[in-house]
Amino acid sequence: MEENDVGSKEFENAKQEMDRLVYESLKEKEIKPNAMFAKLSELTKAMSVTKGVVKWSRVNSLWPMQFGLACCAIELMDFGSARIDAERKGYLLFRGTPRQCDVMIIAGWVTKSMVPEIKRLYEQMSKPRYIIAFGECATCGGPWWESYNIVKGIDQVLPVDVYVAGCPPKPENLFEALIKLQKKIDGKIESR
Amino acid sequence: MTITRINIGPVHPSTHGVIRLVVDLDGDTIVKVEPHVGFLHRGVEKLAETRMYMQIPPYTEKLDYVAPLAYDEAYVATVEAALGIEVKERAQYLRVIELELQRIASHLLGIGTLCNDIGQMFTTFMWAFKDRDMVLDLLQEATGSRMFHVNMRLGGLHSDVPPDFVDHTISLMDYMEKRIVHYEKYIEKNTTFKERMVGVGVLTKEKAIELGVAGPVLRASGINYDVRKNRPYYVYDKFHFNTKTLYDGDNFSRYKVRMLELKESVRIIKAVARAMPDGDALGMPIKLRSPNPVNRIAVVSRELPRGECLLYMVADPQKPYRLSIRSPNMINLAAISHMAKGARFADLFAILGSLDIVMGCIDR
Repeated sequence: MEENDVGSKEFENAKQEMDRLVYESLKEKEIKPNAMFAKLSELTKAMSVTKGVVKWSRVNSLWPMQFGLACCAIELMDFGSARIDAERKGYLLFRGTPRQCDVMIIAGWVTKSMVPEIKRLYEQMSKPRYIIAFGECATCGGPWWESYNIVKGIDQVLPVDVYVAGCPPKPENLFEALIKLQKKIDGKIESR
Repeated sequence: MTITRINIGPVHPSTHGVIRLVVDLDGDTIVKVEPHVGFLHRGVEKLAETRMYMQIPPYTEKLDYVAPLAYDEAYVATVEAALGIEVKERAQYLRVIELELQRIASHLLGIGTLCNDIGQMFTTFMWAFKDRDMVLDLLQEATGSRMFHVNMRLGGLHSDVPPDFVDHTISLMDYMEKRIVHYEKYIEKNTTFKERMVGVGVLTKEKAIELGVAGPVLRASGINYDVRKNRPYYVYDKFHFNTKTLYDGDNFSRYKVRMLELKESVRIIKAVARAMPDGDALGMPIKLRSPNPVNRIAVVSRELPRGECLLYMVADPQKPYRLSIRSPNMINLAAISHMAKGARFADLFAILGSLDIVMGCIDR
C-alpha cells in the first residue's frame, strides 16, 4: 500500500550514508569517535521527525497495549484472533506493559474509579503515544450516560486520536481505526 | 515466616477484566488472596429503576458480556413472570436454541482464554475464537447482531429466524462435534496443561456448598445441580440430556465440566432444532405499553453459562420498582481465596482462569 512506502527513500539514503561512514573509519584504520558522532548527528538532523525514517518507523510499527475494560475488550480479543489476523498488518504485538506500547485502545466504559489507573498507564507510555476510543462508552459514555459512576467519554480526561462508533464495534472497525491512525501520524489526515 | 504482599491489577493481562488481587505470599506459596472489585461499577440496578420494562434489556445484556443473550432472556423472563405473559411455543424452542448457542460461544471463550493463561497454548485460543466466530455468525443470522442481540420480547422474539436457519444450525453442530473431540485430544494430551491443572485449586464438596458457588464450579465439586434439570423452564424437560458432574473439584474438573457441557449443548440444539414446530414466534413490539403487572414480586432463576443467576423484581406499572441480581460470578470469585490457599503463586492465574469470571457481572 502507498502509506507503507513513506520515507523508504530517505531510509535507503541513511543506510548508504551509514555504510559509507563505517567503511571510511575502517579504511583509515583508526577510529575517530568524535568525527563519527558529528557525522551521525548531521544524519539524524537530516532524518527529521516529521519526515524520514523516524516517521516511517512510527507509522509502521504500532504496538497496542493489552488492556481491556469491558465488552469491547472481547471484540479486541477477536481482533487478535484467527479470522481478522491483525498480524498481517503488523498490529498484533499486544504488550502487557505500557512502557513498550504506542497505542492505548480504550475498550469499554470508563468509571470514576478507573480514571486514575488509566491516567497512570498513559503516563507510563513512552512518547509519542496515541489513544483510540473504541466503542460508544469510551467515546461519549454510551448507554451509561445517566449513570452516577461513569465518565462521559475518555476524552474528558485524556487526548483521543481516533474515535470508533458502535456498541460494540466490529473487529474490522478497529482495523480501520488503526489505518486511520497511521494516516494521521503520517500527516495525511489533518488533526483537529 | 515472612509474608510478602503482592498487588496484582487492576490492569493485568491475565485477570480477565479489571480486578485487583492482593496476594500474601510465604516464599512461593499463597497464604491469602484478597480480591478487590468495583472498578467497573456503573449502577445497572439503579438505572433499571428509571427505565420502562423493555428499555432495560440492553443494560442487563452488558452484565455478562461474554454471554449477553442469556442475561437478556433471564431479564425478559422475569418481566414475563411479573406481567403474567405466556411465551409462544415456537418462541420457546427458538429461545432454547439461542441460549445453548450462546452457552457454546461462552464456554469456547472460557476454554480458549484459560489455555492462553496457562501459557504455551495460544493455538487453542486461536481455534476457540475461530469456532466462536462461527457460532456468532449463526446468531447474527438469527438475530441480526453479532454480539449484543437484544432479541427477546415479551412473549416471544423480536423476529423469526430465516427459513434455512435450522439447516445451518444442524450443519454447524455436526462440525462442532468434531471440533470438540479435536480440542479434547489436543488439550488433554498436553503435559504442561495437565501438570498445571490436575490437583491444583481444589474445592471440596462441603466447602462448595458452604460458599454457595454455582454452575460448572459447583458441578466440578461433585454436586449434581443444574437449573435446567432441577427446575426446568421452556422445553428443557421435553428433551433428554445429562448434567455432567465430576468429583475432584480441581482446575482440571472445572475445565472438563465445560468441555462436557459443550457436547451436551450440541446434543440439545440438534434435538430441539429437529423438533421445532411451525407457527408464530413474535413477541410484543416495544412501542406498545406493557400490560399491568399481575404479580408484585417476581423471582426467576436461570442456568447461565457461568452458573445459576437469580433475578428478583418488584414490579410497578410500566417499570420495575426494584431489580436485584444475584450474580454467579461474584460468588465464584469469592471462593478463590479458599481455592488458592497453599497453591503456588504461578498457579493463581490458572485458578482464576478456571473460574471463568466476567467482571461486568461482578461489579454491575
